Order: sequence, then structure tokens, then C-alpha cells
Amino acid sequence: MAVPIDVTTGPGGPPDAGATSSGRSIEGRSLGQIAWLRLRRDKVAIGGGVIVVILILVAIIGPHVVANPDVYHSNLVDPTVLRPTGSFGGISIAHPLGVEPQTGRDVLARIVVGTQYSLLIAFLATALSVIIGTFFGIIAGYFGGWVDAVIARTMDVFLAFPLLLFALALANVIPYSAFGLSGNTLKIAVMVFVIGFFAWPYLGRIIRGQTLSLREREFVDAARSLGARGPYILFRELLPNLVAPILVYATLLIPANILFEAALDYLGVGLYVPTPTWGQMLSIAVTNQYWQIDPWYMIMPGLAIFITVMAFNLFGDGLRDALDPKTR
Amino acid sequence: MKRRGTIATATAAALAALVVTACSSGGTSSTTGTGSSGNNTSANFFNKGLTQVMNPSTHKGGTVTYESHAAPDSFDGGNTYYAWVLNFSRLYEMAMFTYKSCPGQCGLTLVPRLATDMGTASADGKTWTFHIQSGVKYENGSTVTASDVKYAIERTYDRSVMANGPTYYQAILTDPTYPGPYKDKSPNKMGLTAIDVPNATTLVFHLQAAFPDLPYVLAFPSTAPVPPASDTGANYQLHPLATGPYKFQTYQLNKQLTLVPNTAWSASTDPQAKQLASKIVMNLNVNQANVDNLLLTNQAQVDAAGVGVGPAAQAKIETNSTYKANAVNPINGFARFVYIDTKVAPFTNLHCREAVEYAANKTTLQDAWGGPIAGGQIASTVNPPNIIGFSKFDLYNALSQPNGDVSDAKTQLQQCGQPNGFSTTMGYRNDNPQETAAATALQASLQQVGIKLTLKGFAGGTYYTSFCGDPAYVHSHSLGLCAGGWGADWPDGYGFLDELSNGNAIASTGNTNIEELNDSVINNLFAKANTETGAARTAIWAQVDHQIMADAGILPEVYQKSLIYVPTSATNVFVQTYYGMLDYLAIGASSGS
Repeated sequence: MAVPIDVTTGPGGPPDAGATSSGRSIEGRSLGQIAWLRLRRDKVAIGGGVIVVILILVAIIGPHVVANPDVYHSNLVDPTVLRPTGSFGGISIAHPLGVEPQTGRDVLARIVVGTQYSLLIAFLATALSVIIGTFFGIIAGYFGGWVDAVIARTMDVFLAFPLLLFALALANVIPYSAFGLSGNTLKIAVMVFVIGFFAWPYLGRIIRGQTLSLREREFVDAARSLGARGPYILFRELLPNLVAPILVYATLLIPANILFEAALDYLGVGLYVPTPTWGQMLSIAVTNQYWQIDPWYMIMPGLAIFITVMAFNLFGDGLRDALDPKTR
Repeated sequence: MKRRGTIATATAAALAALVVTACSSGGTSSTTGTGSSGNNTSANFFNKGLTQVMNPSTHKGGTVTYESHAAPDSFDGGNTYYAWVLNFSRLYEMAMFTYKSCPGQCGLTLVPRLATDMGTASADGKTWTFHIQSGVKYENGSTVTASDVKYAIERTYDRSVMANGPTYYQAILTDPTYPGPYKDKSPNKMGLTAIDVPNATTLVFHLQAAFPDLPYVLAFPSTAPVPPASDTGANYQLHPLATGPYKFQTYQLNKQLTLVPNTAWSASTDPQAKQLASKIVMNLNVNQANVDNLLLTNQAQVDAAGVGVGPAAQAKIETNSTYKANAVNPINGFARFVYIDTKVAPFTNLHCREAVEYAANKTTLQDAWGGPIAGGQIASTVNPPNIIGFSKFDLYNALSQPNGDVSDAKTQLQQCGQPNGFSTTMGYRNDNPQETAAATALQASLQQVGIKLTLKGFAGGTYYTSFCGDPAYVHSHSLGLCAGGWGADWPDGYGFLDELSNGNAIASTGNTNIEELNDSVINNLFAKANTETGAARTAIWAQVDHQIMADAGILPEVYQKSLIYVPTSATNVFVQTYYGMLDYLAIGASSGS
């Protein structure tokens, strides 16, 4: 016997299919939204992120706003001891972070312009590492077998490479212009190559590990059963799932690259004089013994490196916690 | 989380460290206690050692300790070109001539040492006769003969064994192709025909052309006698046979040298030297900051390199009146400058060169070299003031407008057809921090008139052989400017200016006439000088200097000075004006036996 369905039409029309009692619809949250919410709650990571954004803004806009970093002010330096005449390294309204010993050049301007080079080289080197590392990591993880073995041994070779010695040797051999580039552009390219080209195994191993676990998942089998072949699976199925670890470890690779770039500058492998870079300022402070005469000149670039590296590390840690709480 | 806690603690610690550093940085530290005010009332006062002897004493005994931030090119007198080794080697080797051991201008006087007198020249100046003392003995008791002096000179002809040192003998004496004693096939290895030894105490030199400065050349330690039987070539530096007041006791290569008194030495044959200390120790390859600290704390007596303290010690000395009273600030005889190559465009035009001369900011250059005390005096001439024949003039307002004369520079740019400036490249030694700083300072000051400098750094070891000293390289890479420095081989104008500016000094490698001046006015002045003597000859050097500046071939930066610290434990200390550093023949220890 059929029971008549009593359809009542109330004043609001037919009832909505998925309506809750409060009248809002339930929406599923995507992975990105969940991660963002978790990140938002992590105050330290947000702090780091804000500093990172500020640094990027400083690198882009700063050099146009500050004074000329190459102008000498010999009147601000005591000629007998070559120390800035003002206290705290010559801090004043015109020179908020003081002046350089012996030359009187504005420290704030030099640090701001140095930010530009540090971030540029670190980002480009990281991008290079990410591209190479992801590519070989995915291939090694997915195909396994001899492909994996070959790539894994290649990674070992790269990790064993005496990178610092190579960088120092290369610096003395590179001429002023080569490969169509010259001057600082060439030097930046060389530094990006040295820093980025040899760091890919770090990311490659992680991606390989992630790929190894991912390829056993059902969605890969499903795609394969639908007729998908290697490249499609690699770049359409696996890669989107790897974005999270790539992002996290890229963010953590950047501060390591900043430190390495500063070290190379300190050792004299850096950009041409008088380009200001943080590592070079530290080198000048040490070789000329200025750290004993005017410790502020050493503290400023040291602080810049410290703050930048810490901000990226904090943000990267927070990002990792947000995207993959299992690793907490 | 544990990690964040660690980060917070670390940050707090870092901030605390900053605060502590801030409290101890800057400012001057004045001493209380002894209360010496750094003027004539105390036993020593600043720069006393320029005109008087500091800490005079006849105390015999004790150890004098030398510290050096590097190692010598060689302790063998025939194989060295370092100024401090030329000074120090006099302790164990007697050359034919030496400079008088006295403070002030008197130190520029050449006096005979192994020789008996200043030598006699023939009428045409091409033959010189010298006699050596008859009673001088080596440390092993055997007597020095004139053939030992000839042998010592012969050794310098073989550059494959004796790679360092000047090459004057080949340029001045006849028989320039002599291959050196190690390839000499004649008996007794006396094959150099340019020198005759008629008897055991006489030497006769045959010159290609008249050369009045020959005694100066013989002041180099390459004339210290070497017995042929004892010569071990490049290893002779490990124990050269001593003729001076001290002899080698032990020498650990690149680490430490110990000298003890030479019992075979006789003070009557060697009035310029003293034998006071009972031991002399030199430590090599000591970090410069450590050298400075050892001197300031009286644990060592002398910084062997003789070019002064580093910037940190300089600041300490300048701000502490006790230290300052023990310091001395001589002109060390080196001039620092920039060559402007007359064969590289646009410097082929005199007015473009003059634009550089006017535009350079001399104050920032002086600061780059270390400021007016440890760096030097702003220079307006090529000759520094301690050269015989120096005359002061200023063609480009270097002294009256030390921050640069931008308006005159711009006028010169108009006249050379480059009113908006031009671009060029500058070579410099990038392993020398002061030269790097000076190049950077010049780049900044030329930028103000529109001259864009690209800086190219080279390693110091090959700078003169392969880069700035190689005209082919300079031309192919358009190095319009090259940094340089020069110390006189002997204190008259010839010794300073000839290699720098004579047209015939341009060489294809190791070139020192880097501005490639081939001005017949200058060349003729040099030729004329070799036919004159005395005051007439001296007057020519000022004319050469003036012409080099009028040609704007060289941009002078500073007459270099050194800030030398003299610990109170060192006695009989004064500045030897030719060497521009302390006289190492005179120094003793204040105590000990």
C-alpha cells in the first residue's frame, strides 16, 4: 500500500536538501584550507612569515629609498683611528645604522642593497635545487630498480663533492665575462650554480622517500588501471601531492643557502667590489680588525643574517607543522 | 614546544651579548697610574725615535725577540729583496757598504763596511776599484778574500737558483750573459769577466757605461762574501757563513731563527754594528694581531716586518698616552700611487689623464691606506720626502684641495672631448686589503665626475709578471689604471725614478714603467744625470719628477708611513731613515744575560 507523501509547502518554499538547522551549508575543507587554519594559529610562524615578507619588500623597494651605499663620508670618520666619530658606530638621523669605518659609507644602505643580493641568490639557488631535486626524486621513487640505484649513487657523489674548495677554485678562474654574461651578473650566475646545483640531493632524497610511499596508494593504481602511463602519473597524480613537502623543504633550504652565500662572500668568492653584501661586510670587519675598533660594524650585517635566517627557519618550521602534523 | 623555548633563550642571550658589547665599545681608554702625558717631560715621547735614540743603554746580554707575520723570501743575502731582510741580514753578513747607524737624515749616508773606502772611479767612470779590509773573518775563523765577494756577486746572475733580488749587475756591468757560478765551467768558478780580483783585497769593476751610483748597488747584501766551497745554492739560506756580529745557531724554516754572537767578529772592523744581546730570536708566520699584542705587553721587542702595527693596535696606541709615548711614526720610504697608462685610450690624451689627477679624492685614499698616521702623507709628487733630490710641488691641487678638485677635473674632461666622463678598467692586488680599499675609494671619487671605473683584482704574486706588469695584457684588457707602490733601492732619485719612468725601462714582463712613458725629455734627463755628480745631479731628479707629473703618468696617493711600537724592553732604538724602520744593527735588550 502506498503511503501518500505529505509535501508541505511552507512559507519558505520546499525544504533544502542539505539544510542544517542553522541554515548554513556544510562545506568540506580542502587540505590547503586546513593547513592555513593551523598555520594561522601558530603565532611564531606567522611572525617569521611577516619578517620574510618585510625582507622581500626591503629587497625590492629598499635600494630605491635609501641613500647611495657607495658614497664616502670621510668627514664622519676619525682619521687617526679610522673609527666613526659618532658613538655606537656613528648612528645619527642621516645614518640610522651608523657608518662604515675608514670610508664613512652608510651601513643601512649597504645592508639594504645586500639584502637584495642575498635573497636573490638564495631564491634562485633554491629554485634550481628544487627543480633538479624534484625531477630526479620523483623518477627515482616511482620507477625504482636500476633507475633508482643510478640516481641514488649520483646523489651520493654530489653529497660527497668538496663544495667549498670547488667554489674557491672556481672564483679564481672565472673571467670577467663568459657565456654571454659579464660583471656581477656572471658572478651571481656562478654563485647560483655553485650553491644550487650541488644541493639538490637534499631535496631529492626527501622527494624520493615521499614518492616511494605515495606510489603504493590506491589513486595511483586507479589511474594506472584507467590507462595512464608513467609521465601522466608522475606529473598529474604524484606531483600535486608532493607540493606540500616541496614547499616546506624549499623554505628550509633558503636560510641554508643564505648562510652559504654569506660564507662565500666572506671568503672572497662573492660579487665585485664595491657591491655591498653581508658576507663581504663581515670580511672587511675581520681582515681590517675593525671589529676591535668598531664592533657595531660587525654586529649589523651579523644581525641581518641572523634575523633573515631565523625568520625563514621559523616560517618553514611552522609551515611543516601545518602541512604535516604527523611529523610534529 | 621545546624547540621554541630554545630559540627564545638563544635570542635573549644574543641580545644580552649585544648590550654588553655596546657598553665596552667605542670611547677612549685613558690610563691612570703612570700619568705620562706624552710630551718631552717623560723619558720617551711620540716620534722621539725619528731624531734621537730611544732607551739608550750599554747593557750587554739578554735576548732580543723579533716577531714576523710572514716568512722572508730568503735569509740569504744574495736571494732577497724584502726591505726588512736587507736591514736584518746586516746582523750576520757584512756587505761592501752600508748605511750609517744613526737617527735622522744622517741615516741616508752611505759608508763603507767590508770596503775600506768609497772606491775610486776612472776618468771615464767605466772602471771602479775597491779595496776590502784584510782582517775580516768568517765564523769558522777563515779569512775573507776579495774573490769571495766576486763569487757572491756571481751567484745573483743565475735567476733559476737565486730568483729574488735586483738585477742591477747584469744591467750595469760588462759581461751580462754570464750564466752564474752553477753553470760556470772555468776553474775556481771565477768566470765573470766584469770583475777582476788582482789580489786578495782588491776588486776592479768594469761597467758598460758610467754609473755614479755603483757604491749604492754594492750596499745590497748580495756583496756579502760567500766562500765558493761552502755555497749550497738555494739551501745556503739555512746557514749562511757569518761575517757580522751574529751567526746562525738554529733555523727552522718558516718557523724560528736563533742567532748567537759571532766570536770571530771584531768590532774594530765594523764600527756601525753592535754586539749587545747574547741571543736574537725571530719567530716567523705569527698572526699580525698577535705580534702587536706581544709588543704592547713587552714580551717581544721588534716587529721584524717593520711596516707598523695593525688597525686595532693603532687605535689602542693613538688613544693611550703611555703607548703613544713609546711609538714612532716614520715615513717608510714607500710611495703608493696609481699608474695612468699613456698607451690605453682615452688616456692617450693628456687632458683625460689630468682629469683623473684632479678628480681623485686624496683624503679617502689616505684613509684607505690607514689615515694620516699609519697610512701616510697625502702625496703630490712621485718622489717621497726621504729621497735625495726631493722637491715639493703640487700641480693638481692635491694638497690644497685634498677632497678632489671636481671643477678643474670637469674642465679637463671638456678639453679631452669626454664632457660626460668615460669608462675604463683598473687593475689592483685583491689580496692586499689596503690596496683594495684604495681602489674602491678611487672608484667612488672618479664616479663624481662621470668616470666609471671597473675594478679588476689580481693576486699579488703574479701581478707584475702576468697582469699589470705585462704591457700586452694591459693593452688587450684596456687596463687604463693600475695600482702600484714603490720603494727606493737606494735613496737618490735615480734609484727611485729610473725604473718607474725611463723609456728604456719598459719591459714585456715585470714592467715597472707601467704608465709606459717614453718622454724624450725624461729619457734625456736620465742620460744627462749619469754624466753629472753632486748637486747638479741631485737637481735633475726634481726635474724628472716634475715632468712625470706634468705628463700625468702617475697619480700619487700617499708617502707611506708606519706606526711602529717600541716596547721598553728594547734598547738603543731609533729609525734608520733609509730603511724607514728601526735600525736592527743597534737594538739590544734591557735586561737579562
